[in-house]
Amino acid sequence: MNIDLVLQVLHERFPTDPLKPRTVPIDETVVTLTPENLRPAVQTLIERFDLRHLSTITGIDTGDEIELLYHFWDGQGLTLRTSLPRENPHTVTLIDLIPGAAFYEREASEMLHIVFDGHPTPDPFLLPDDWEGAPPLRKEEAP
Amino acid sequence: MSRITIPIGPQHPALKEPLSLLLTAEGERIVESTLRIGYAHRGLERIFQNRNYVQNIHIVERVCGICSHVHTTAYCQGVEALLGLQVPPRALYLRTLLCELERIHSHLLWLGVLAEHIGFTTVFMYTWRDREIVLDIMEELSGGRVAHAVNAIGGVRIDIDSEHIDSILARLDDLERQIDTFLGVVLHEHTFQVRTHAIGRLTAEQARRYCVVGPVARASGIDVDLRRDEPYAVYDQLDFRVIVAHEGDVWARTMVRTMESVESLQMCRQLLRNLPDGPLAVRAPRHVPAGEVISRCEAPRGELVYYIRSDGSDRPARVKVRTPTLPSLAALAEQLQDINTADVPAVLAGVDLCIACADR
Repeated sequence: MNIDLVLQVLHERFPTDPLKPRTVPIDETVVTLTPENLRPAVQTLIERFDLRHLSTITGIDTGDEIELLYHFWDGQGLTLRTSLPRENPHTVTLIDLIPGAAFYEREASEMLHIVFDGHPTPDPFLLPDDWEGAPPLRKEEAP
Repeated sequence: MSRITIPIGPQHPALKEPLSLLLTAEGERIVESTLRIGYAHRGLERIFQNRNYVQNIHIVERVCGICSHVHTTAYCQGVEALLGLQVPPRALYLRTLLCELERIHSHLLWLGVLAEHIGFTTVFMYTWRDREIVLDIMEELSGGRVAHAVNAIGGVRIDIDSEHIDSILARLDDLERQIDTFLGVVLHEHTFQVRTHAIGRLTAEQARRYCVVGPVARASGIDVDLRRDEPYAVYDQLDFRVIVAHEGDVWARTMVRTMESVESLQMCRQLLRNLPDGPLAVRAPRHVPAGEVISRCEAPRGELVYYIRSDGSDRPARVKVRTPTLPSLAALAEQLQDINTADVPAVLAGVDLCIACADR
């Protein structure tokens, strides 16, 4: 994967997005996108670079927002980052583009209460069917 | 033809760990399968946030009961990258040595499980007997057969002397003779061939769609191995082949794993013969500067990913673990489609699932 070319293509395709590419260890480039452009960006990466290996999706509750990190890999790492509001976070599923994303989306969904619109089986994945507690990876609400 | 639904698990004699599989069969043919995991979920990612970086090594080691060392390797190298630590070469050699011993132990364990599932008990008995050679070596080195507690942030906690190196090298020769015998069985034994050929097939395109990694991907013709493609520890100094097959069935996976074990033996020899002198660890501060890191390792089952974010304190703000079993599970339904009911155990074993890893 030619990371400079990837960044150039993303920049041309999404000129108003922040992108702010930065390199983090170990050999990973992190690019920031707006939530509505995440799916088109993945589509572009698949069409232009055949970048189809999604290692996983990390969801993080920072206290102010919910961050979603999509970690791709092809010889080196590329992470697409986007932020969702803590209240009622919604984003569009990727599983029609990358079927392997199904489990990662279900996990992020139940651990952080994110809704992946269009996911065909948003059932409990790791948590018990009768789990009634708060989503385990959400920060506790201030008392 | 009428349909019948067969539940397998969460507790079932064919499963080594809890997993719920609901199979729908028409006669002997599987037409549909659904999967549910989570029976071994321990909430580790939440626990990581409540422990400091050193305490977490202990928990990371317990994500998996087979490949515990590669988990601490991925975690420690991630934290070391955040700290900007230069780990001494001798430590990296010993770390890599344990990784490769662990791969041999994992692959032999797996071959035994597969053999037992297809009714070939002799191979099961012999592989598990010979796996003891590796377990003994790891126990001598670390004090533990499965949980080794070898890795520390900044280096390793074990050392080895030249007498011990000679003793290990001699036993690796014995082990290689045994693995050659198993390879002969895989290649020439009729029983083995008929129970594994053209079963549980995954094409390269299917494997790509589900982002499958490790030996399962390599057995489907995807030439990927992080030890070569993005070398960590001292893999860039080792001479080894990446084994790839194209059939994509249980037999191809057996070939890939068995031949990989031989490669791992060669790597252990290189590591022991070229072990540099020097310190075993550098001191690591308790507080880790704010930042994030993505650490990838090639575990026995494939790409293992650790994402670690630090907020500058002595505890991680987030640790995310993606184990290689998850994508394999995602691709399981494709492999079970249209197979004979009697082949289900062989397919389940062929993937080399580690449910504790997947559930975390």
